[in-house]
Amino acid sequence: MKNPLNKRFVRELKSDFGKYIVLFVFIVAMIAIVSGFQVAGNSMIKAYEESFEKYNIEDGNFELTAKADEELISKIEENDVTIYENFYLEEETTLGTTMRIFKNREEVNRACLMSGEFPVADNEIAIDRIHANKNELEIGDTIIVSGKELKISGLVALTDYSALYQSPTDTMFDTKMFGVGVMTEEGFEIIGDDRLHFSYSWRYEERPVDDIEAKKMSDELMGSLLQCTMLENYIPAYNNQAIQFTGDDMGRDKLIFGGFLYLVVAIIAFIFAITTSNTITKESTVIGTLRASGYSKGELIRHYLAMPMLVTLIAAVVGNILGYTVMEDFAADMYYNSYCLTTYEILWNAKAFVSTTVIPLVIMFLINFLILVRKFKLSPLRFIRRDLSRKKNKKAFKLNTKISIMKRFRLRIIFQNMPNYITIVFGVLLANVIMIFGLAFPALLKNHSEKLSDNMLSQYQYILKMPSETDNESAEAFTAYSLKTLEIRGFTEQVSLFGVVDDSKYIDVDFEKNTVFISSAYSEKYDVQAGDTITLKEEFEDKEYKFKVKGVYDYSIGIAVFMAQEELNTLFGYEEGYFNGYFSNEEITDIDDELIATVITKDDMDKLSRQLMDSMGNMMGLFFVVGILMFMLIIYLLSKIVIEKNSQSISMVKILGYDNKEINKLYIVTTAIVVIASLIITMPLLDSVMAVLLEYMFFMYSGWMTYYVPMSQYVLVVVAGIASYAVIAFLQMQKVKKIPMEDALKTVE
Amino acid sequence: MFLEISGIKKHFGEGDSRVDVLKGIDLQIEKGEICVLLGPSGSGKSTLLNIIGGIDDADSGYISINGEKTADMNEKSLTKYRRKHLGYIFQMYNLIPNLNIKENIEVGAYLSDNPLDVDEILKTLGLYEHRHKLPNQLSGGQQQRCAIGRAIVKNPDILLCDEPTGALDYNTSKDILKLIEDVNKKYGNTVIMVTHNDAIKNMADRVVKLRDGVIRKNYLNDEKIAAMDLDW
Repeated sequence: MKNPLNKRFVRELKSDFGKYIVLFVFIVAMIAIVSGFQVAGNSMIKAYEESFEKYNIEDGNFELTAKADEELISKIEENDVTIYENFYLEEETTLGTTMRIFKNREEVNRACLMSGEFPVADNEIAIDRIHANKNELEIGDTIIVSGKELKISGLVALTDYSALYQSPTDTMFDTKMFGVGVMTEEGFEIIGDDRLHFSYSWRYEERPVDDIEAKKMSDELMGSLLQCTMLENYIPAYNNQAIQFTGDDMGRDKLIFGGFLYLVVAIIAFIFAITTSNTITKESTVIGTLRASGYSKGELIRHYLAMPMLVTLIAAVVGNILGYTVMEDFAADMYYNSYCLTTYEILWNAKAFVSTTVIPLVIMFLINFLILVRKFKLSPLRFIRRDLSRKKNKKAFKLNTKISIMKRFRLRIIFQNMPNYITIVFGVLLANVIMIFGLAFPALLKNHSEKLSDNMLSQYQYILKMPSETDNESAEAFTAYSLKTLEIRGFTEQVSLFGVVDDSKYIDVDFEKNTVFISSAYSEKYDVQAGDTITLKEEFEDKEYKFKVKGVYDYSIGIAVFMAQEELNTLFGYEEGYFNGYFSNEEITDIDDELIATVITKDDMDKLSRQLMDSMGNMMGLFFVVGILMFMLIIYLLSKIVIEKNSQSISMVKILGYDNKEINKLYIVTTAIVVIASLIITMPLLDSVMAVLLEYMFFMYSGWMTYYVPMSQYVLVVVAGIASYAVIAFLQMQKVKKIPMEDALKTVE
Repeated sequence: MFLEISGIKKHFGEGDSRVDVLKGIDLQIEKGEICVLLGPSGSGKSTLLNIIGGIDDADSGYISINGEKTADMNEKSLTKYRRKHLGYIFQMYNLIPNLNIKENIEVGAYLSDNPLDVDEILKTLGLYEHRHKLPNQLSGGQQQRCAIGRAIVKNPDILLCDEPTGALDYNTSKDILKLIEDVNKKYGNTVIMVTHNDAIKNMADRVVKLRDGVIRKNYLNDEKIAAMDLDW
């Protein structure tokens, strides 16, 4: 015979439908979001990984100063590689953007057509979908490149530009200001061949199995290349952010979303546990009687455990269905908003199933099971006598009688409902983290952007292909060199070394022999201080260098090391007096463009904040809304429990003659005090949590962004919290009003 | 007349399940009287007490205290009415579990502009030593004393007692009844007490017997005895 107690489930559901539906909807929403992101992310990563073979993505590319003849190509191909022409033009458009144009490549780095058609006519171009989107360009529109009108025939994803990095050394890609496109061979030639970049892609005949082997093979190839030609540029695919960044970044999101889901489920599990615990208190005589009649602890634990588990299970199923359908589209749109990904198919994701179904169920089970086991340790007699207090002879602690009775009453309510209020504190913290994440991010980026102007080493930073003199008085020569950090958490990044002249106008430090200064960004990101020793390595070799840090130089926007120029020249084998760059506060006009490798201005430094805002802007709004909803849900459910738990007392004070205003002062104001106190006391903690969270997030990006959230954003969170609570308080006041006085007559204490 | 109950009717349920609990109650009680409402279960005595207490509505009829009719009152005025005139004592005490004994009494004192001295009441009730304890640390009798303290601290005109000894043993019941009697003598409150213990009628000034929603007997008790002399 089935346990007759099971018949209560439907009735329980009906009697507390509001609570269950709110919890159900919230779990569904959370699981749908996480499942959607994981499924879309996983399917897209899979498509991205498969694209290497499907679209024949290069194993690397190099650029020569002139077109290679067949003899040279044959010589290079002796290294068991196939070489493909990958010439491109880089032109300014009338929109102020830079467009890198290729011939529509059919052998290597093939383009994926997302919509429209590949170009057929000479005046047609298919451009990157996301770049078009950011510049509000559509199929049929015209763009003007080098004075020539080009009609957009289609939108594409170029597989060697899944992240639109203009240069591998860029801090961040820039989908708005930099775009790529393909034209017909004839159209490409008409645009102009005098400014061609002679870029070549290579693919190994036998592909490397991993990055280590890829690096070894790439080093060997570079060695061979240097023996037979001069290289303008050399970038193996494993090191090319334009190819690799997307895969790395999409993996990061999963970790953040997963952790977020588990926290939410844990809080909901606590809410369930508190509710169940109150139900047990309410039904204690019945439980005692059932236990006395022969029902086992296990049967009753299973009974009270069933509802939370059932709600979570159904929510997980519904959440996953929504995750694979509605949210998957939403998540895919967000990824498509940042990355130039190819088309993909939705794949079943076992990991997503585990993280969105199995783990939430396990969390829900464990929290509720442990609390129920603890509760059911008491004897049946204790249940019958309603003596559920675990502490014998628990005394009410004394409160100063000079405090008014209303205040003491409120304090007693807080002590009585401590588990609820502690959960409120944690819930408020979590909701605030989500809210402040949505609010702080734009402020943080704005601050970073503003800092750039103040913190640039100079208004212009020129990197030269070879030493070239200038008459510009503002210019100060330096030697630039690039090394890489050792791997930390699977991440390495480029470090700019600046060899600076004595008494520099731009870098105000006194160097000592065998010591360096590091930028404040380096210091913050890698937690390096004066007196420490840092180890950096050559980008394409295993050679390592150790540097003793003398001090930290206030430069918060780049990962840089500053040392005496002569020392740098000696260390890296340059001649005395060698330099390859200029700091300047004025534009240098007397150096031939051909001799300038790069000019770095504020705008280049601004890319990181612009791209982060562009790609994450939508998500920030979502975070803020989810934060507010989470806040309201937690406060609503827990304050509802407080009211329900005290309904008999509320009924009694009504009989005594307390009016609704006075009762609200006791029961609603108390929760209000806890909520407002939670909002305020969690602020310093919130600040620390945010600092850790954002620092963890930014660590994975090249460069650094100093953590900064203005006080105004915290104030806004408090105001949003209070406003949200006002809505909840209003609902609870209605609930208090509806508690009938007869309640005091019905049940026994 | 201090308390006038006129034509009170009340029913619960509809159709086949309709029960007429009170079928037209007329009763007049003088100030300072101890009035005992007697009757078996389902006779309507608790319902009548709740209507007097303003925590339940009558279908028709009215309650009037010093000329103030409860039927004319809105929710706010009813709250004021309870606050100003009534003190309630229940069978199961209905103390607020998370307040200590003194605080439970102070909850009552808060409602009055001129409350009685809380510490003095605690001493009178024999609860002073237990004032910092929570209700569940006290015996049933002590809890009922506390409930009486909470009811009388605001010195109400009427003390409504719904089976105040229903959950207590013989000796404790007599102690509680004596306390109610002492309060009545000391403060002159009108006491309306619902009970199905027939012996308690002997301590009353007025005895009202109800059965099936109607008053069967209503008489002044000429042979009133002290609560401590009651026997059952």
